[in-house]
Amino acid sequence: MNSSLSFLAGILSTVLLVPSAARFLEGQNNQAALAKQSSIVFSGTVSQLGAVSFVGVPQSPQTIVVRVDSVLKKPAAVSLKKGDNVTVEVKDPSAFQPGAQATFYTEGWIFGSGVAVKELGHDFNAGGGVPAEGSPTGQPALGQMQKQISDQDLQDRIASSDLVVIGRITDVHRWTIPKSAAARYHVSEHSADWHEAVLQIKSILKGTKPKGNKMAVRFPLSRDVAWVNSPKFQKQQQGIFFLKKDQVSGDPTASIGGYQVDAYTSLKPGDWLPLSDEARVRSLLKN
Amino acid sequence: MKALAAFWMRLLAFTLLVLIAGILLIEKHAPPKTGVGGDGPQSARTLGSVYAAPTQVKLVDVIPASLSGETNQDSEPFLAVQTANPQVMVASAFTPNPVSSSSNAPIYVSEDGGNSWILNAITPVPRMTCDITHAMPTGENHPRGDLHAGTLACAASITLDESESNDVSSSAVMNVQSTRSNVDQPFVRALAISKTDHIYVGVNDFNQPSGRTATVDVSVDGGVTYKSFSIEARNTAGQDGPSVRPAVAPDNTVYAAFFGWRKFNGTTATSDVVVVRDDAGGTGPHPFQALRDPSDKLPGRLVVKRTSIPWSNAPTLGQERIGSTLSIAVDPHNSSTVYVGWADHGRKGDIYTLHVRRSTDRGLTWSKADLPQTTISNATNIALAVANNGVVGLLYQQLSAGRWVTHVVQSHNGFVTAQDLILASVPADVPTQQFLPYLGDYDYLLSVENEFRGVFCANNAPDRANFPQGVSYQRAVDFSARTLTDGSGNPVAVSIDPFYFSVPVIP
Repeated sequence: MNSSLSFLAGILSTVLLVPSAARFLEGQNNQAALAKQSSIVFSGTVSQLGAVSFVGVPQSPQTIVVRVDSVLKKPAAVSLKKGDNVTVEVKDPSAFQPGAQATFYTEGWIFGSGVAVKELGHDFNAGGGVPAEGSPTGQPALGQMQKQISDQDLQDRIASSDLVVIGRITDVHRWTIPKSAAARYHVSEHSADWHEAVLQIKSILKGTKPKGNKMAVRFPLSRDVAWVNSPKFQKQQQGIFFLKKDQVSGDPTASIGGYQVDAYTSLKPGDWLPLSDEARVRSLLKN
Repeated sequence: MKALAAFWMRLLAFTLLVLIAGILLIEKHAPPKTGVGGDGPQSARTLGSVYAAPTQVKLVDVIPASLSGETNQDSEPFLAVQTANPQVMVASAFTPNPVSSSSNAPIYVSEDGGNSWILNAITPVPRMTCDITHAMPTGENHPRGDLHAGTLACAASITLDESESNDVSSSAVMNVQSTRSNVDQPFVRALAISKTDHIYVGVNDFNQPSGRTATVDVSVDGGVTYKSFSIEARNTAGQDGPSVRPAVAPDNTVYAAFFGWRKFNGTTATSDVVVVRDDAGGTGPHPFQALRDPSDKLPGRLVVKRTSIPWSNAPTLGQERIGSTLSIAVDPHNSSTVYVGWADHGRKGDIYTLHVRRSTDRGLTWSKADLPQTTISNATNIALAVANNGVVGLLYQQLSAGRWVTHVVQSHNGFVTAQDLILASVPADVPTQQFLPYLGDYDYLLSVENEFRGVFCANNAPDRANFPQGVSYQRAVDFSARTLTDGSGNPVAVSIDPFYFSVPVIP
């Protein structure tokens, strides 16, 4: 009898708890995905329907005004704090009533005397009020989500790289444009000022190791607005290099020690990371 | 009787005390004197006579209050004013999308004559443009639209988009009407003629054959179709200089100025300053060939021959790079009068020197020397405009005694006499440049009814001594502490901001 009861209790627990646990996990995943997409996440109370909070935002039945109760995620440049009124262009205005409290996952829309955003998703706060710490949308949970997002960005970078290399720069020199590529080069404020770094390979984290122990990495040294955020390499610089085969400079090959080799580029901010990130990169490579 | 007198004395003293307490209380609760959202005259009222703008100059930091925490180098400004409703304006700068690196690059929009501005991310370029200019001629009669823009996208391959918005306040991304790569520095001017937007985009088009790269893209159907015309008739040093500047008059006269590079050694361009003209809006069989130089009979009048123009893509004039500042302006009511301004080496010891010359016979002949008071040492970002009454306006930024000084000069007699207003005088070494250009490869000036309106970039420290004509900020500032704040009272570092201004045209 006891064992039967235990069995029944087990069944009941499974029936009752597993779906709710699954829903909880699914909810967390959805919120993580929403948080990743969102540039601004805040908890607030709906104050007006079909209204806007400042001049310059087009008013429509889809725009509502929400008073901010707490800001969970925003870029540093954006001025947004508790008590501010935000215009939210919502997907379904009928879902909201004045006084409703929810966490809004949004993307920035218009910035003026106030902030206007577009809804990507929302969660009504159970029992009202600000989401509690530890709840799916509480601040520690958001912090965890942001770490996941950062890891996801790094994983995307790894996926889009032809080679991921740990190594050290042994030489940097201005790249001499070959005659074959000269026709595409003109004088402009946006000129890249291509330089070539010789990268001594310590280990390859992704991709096939090129012949020899050295490779050529081209990068723009220009501080023009078009190139300023590209990595700028210096002799003896060590780190993790995320490289793509050169399809930009006009010559896909380079010469190292008299040998023709494939040339690679490093163009985007984050295409170089310090060695302190090695364990994190290796761990993401395993996933 | 004595008692009655004492009572009245006590009552009087009490009333005085209440009055003093009341004044103190009001002062304590009064908002900080930031001039938020105020125009010139309002600022004068808001800020008291000590900050009154003596000539009703309006100067507004364009960064909105909700971006008070930003510290970007928002350099290289531009301005478009809607012809039909000059209260509507669009400004731009190297301002990134404030929330996302993949969302669209923004523009600033004002619907109240420049008193307040919003940031709206509607350009067709991701995150931030690498060049943007625009105009709002309203031939298609959209109340908040007909914005035509030329943008360059910051990517491995730099791409030009020529695009349009019918409502700059909406969230609709601008419609790309034409696109191509391998071009530089699009510069848009436009005018509504016979209810159609005529658009002229000066570009340095490296796709042109024989290195004759100075080009004007012409559309006479609101951007639906564009035709590209090389306006260089001579041999070049493989290409022309980056700046190609059109100017349009209501009578369908179109001028364009460019640097015809004849030699280039990496640090100096030996260049002609060339002006071309078209009398039919660029639609005739031989566009932009109405002017020929007497020396070689080729299209394009050589205003100055073989001048030396320094080229430096590194900090050279203070923290700014130099090499291609150029402007042209035509009198809207007398298209025979046209002004051109540029910079070259100038005198020995100068880094970069501005010059302005004038033609009063449709570009056939030009003043032999610079107009009076227009040879200006160590200056850049020249912008010219001509008002309805024929007054010429000259905007420029000069490096002087460690400061960037922004001038707007007006004259009704070719600068024989002139009114010179200093709009800003700010430290040139703060902030440290994040990239080039530091202030911009250009700024902009145009005339609207009885005003000159324009934009320039400068150090944004809220120090009233830096802005002699007055200034107002939308972003959070503490004038008494001369600091920027993030809206929650936390300090924000000084950066480069775009400033909008309006100056009354002199009679």
